[in-house]
Amino acid sequence: MEEQGRRLDVHEQHSVEQFLYDEAALLDRLRYRDWLGLLHADIRYRMPVRVSTARGRPDQLATMDHYDEDLYGLTKRVERLETDQAWTEEPPSRPRRFVTNVRGFWRSDGDLTVFSSLLLFRSRGDMREPEWVSAGRQDRLRPAGSGYLIACRDITVDESVLRTQNLALFI
Amino acid sequence: MLAAAARGRPPAAIYSSEAVYEAERSRLFPRTWQFLAHESEIPAPGDFVVRRILDDSFIVARDDHGTVRVLLNVCLHRGMQVCRSELGNTSHFRCPYHNWTYRNTGELVGVPFHAEAYGGEAGLPKAERSLIRPRHESYRGMIFACLHPAAPSLADYLGDYRFFLDFYLHQSDSGAQFAGPQRWLIHSNWKIGAENFAGDSYHTPHTHASIVEIGLFREPRANKRKEGATYQVGPGGGTTYKLPAEDARQNLGYVGYPVEMIDRMQAAWTPGQLELAGRGRFMVSASTLFPNLSLVHNWPQVDADGLVVPFISVRLWQPAGPGETEVLSWFVVDSQAPDWFKAASYRAYLLCFGSSGMFEQDDVENWTSITSMSRGYLSSSVLLDSTMGLAAPPPPAPVAWPAPGTAHVGFGEYGQRAFLRRWAAYCAAGPGQPVAEPDQEARLCADPGSPGYRAVAG
Repeated sequence: MEEQGRRLDVHEQHSVEQFLYDEAALLDRLRYRDWLGLLHADIRYRMPVRVSTARGRPDQLATMDHYDEDLYGLTKRVERLETDQAWTEEPPSRPRRFVTNVRGFWRSDGDLTVFSSLLLFRSRGDMREPEWVSAGRQDRLRPAGSGYLIACRDITVDESVLRTQNLALFI
Repeated sequence: MLAAAARGRPPAAIYSSEAVYEAERSRLFPRTWQFLAHESEIPAPGDFVVRRILDDSFIVARDDHGTVRVLLNVCLHRGMQVCRSELGNTSHFRCPYHNWTYRNTGELVGVPFHAEAYGGEAGLPKAERSLIRPRHESYRGMIFACLHPAAPSLADYLGDYRFFLDFYLHQSDSGAQFAGPQRWLIHSNWKIGAENFAGDSYHTPHTHASIVEIGLFREPRANKRKEGATYQVGPGGGTTYKLPAEDARQNLGYVGYPVEMIDRMQAAWTPGQLELAGRGRFMVSASTLFPNLSLVHNWPQVDADGLVVPFISVRLWQPAGPGETEVLSWFVVDSQAPDWFKAASYRAYLLCFGSSGMFEQDDVENWTSITSMSRGYLSSSVLLDSTMGLAAPPPPAPVAWPAPGTAHVGFGEYGQRAFLRRWAAYCAAGPGQPVAEPDQEARLCADPGSPGYRAVAG
């Protein structure tokens, strides 16, 4: 079980929630370069492919992810979004991220394990139906200065067949 | 509509018309070989995956003797979907409705109250209620099914296109391994992706300008594209890049393959294949096997130090309606590749293609828009223009094509027209009518004396 260690107290909980909300606000406002500043240099950002399987069997593919990125990959993706030719986000979508169910625990090495639920609403253009991505996240946060850095993010997406045209937006 | 499309002027309506989709559903898809799975996805006895051909669901299983089975995923009793997992391992499939139970060979072995309810074998001979098994055949571990009993064999269907498939699937005698697929739904007609991969080298510097701009590739803008060749052979066609050396080993090294893999490719490939990548200086890139299977091979920089590593992806444009497509995208790598290469190549794949891939993102944006625009009263009748290369061909390149099929150097929509001609031939053939082999474009338009046009038959 990952839910080990001391649960965050009310002040720590508040600080972690504010961090996640601030992160979501940066992404919603398309401030991707600032978002990169929240990532640890050794970040692993991963979203395995989810599958329908019989109860008790793994429901994620062991060898395929939607994302498995390091800082280089994420930086390249951000650089691309900063050009004016990344057509899937030009004109940009109007995203809104809803972050809930935040639970945090202290690890023995001084990092935090933080679980959260994320609902991404993506409105694009004027005629398209909006798209949704529902996911759980397990973050490893490293205290840094007055805040945190994201050292690892494991995303459990809730669809086996995504109903979004791509994952140009970060989860 | 079909005739116009075959001439390279498809009305936009072919990307959203219900009538066109119905013709594809009843005439085209049942008569073509459809990729379901790769044998490496079901390595052990009992392994299975569930895949679709349009609205038909199939179980692709390895039975207890190691034989690959393709079973229509429909209970012979009441039509229930027998297996509702996407993958797993089992010896038997049990229908939830009345517990009819099938072995993973498809045989019906369990019927509750068989004697009391049916009078035993006399009333319900179990052997006559096996899960329906469509024709299936494999090439290089890729399992295909064909729903039409009179269609040609897979080998005949693929023909000389196998020459090109082998660049992706036969990099050693052990063959490739498939990981995935990522699956996602796009609001796009299935043909647009298939046409793109069949020959659209023209879009690369523009649709993917952002990727050039961020320096994910070494090559300067568009250069490696306009010197590449596109080819058409039988049911397939694709694009190639022009490489620097006249030696296959050097070129394979240039795109990032390590020496041990190059040794195995050299042993696995024919002299013709080695010549294409060597003296011909062409490296395969995107390709489409008619109708809806595409492949891609490219070589981005995967880290800040500039390490160049190639990747391969196979993808299925699975129709989910006239304007909807489910994309199934696999990462493919030679099974004997070293672990570091497999890991780096996988990262290269994720950066470029698949549900989060940066190439794929902009491709799908375009294809979604094309599909959406094709629905208009006025816009549905617009004759789109896939005529590039017919009227003003680009200059020829002084190069032989040591490969089957027809090839052209530079930009041109030869592959898209070949796709549309074949598509029109299938859609035109009614029930009971044979599918006419589409005309070769050379007969329609080639002018061998023209200084700007070069077609070399293999």
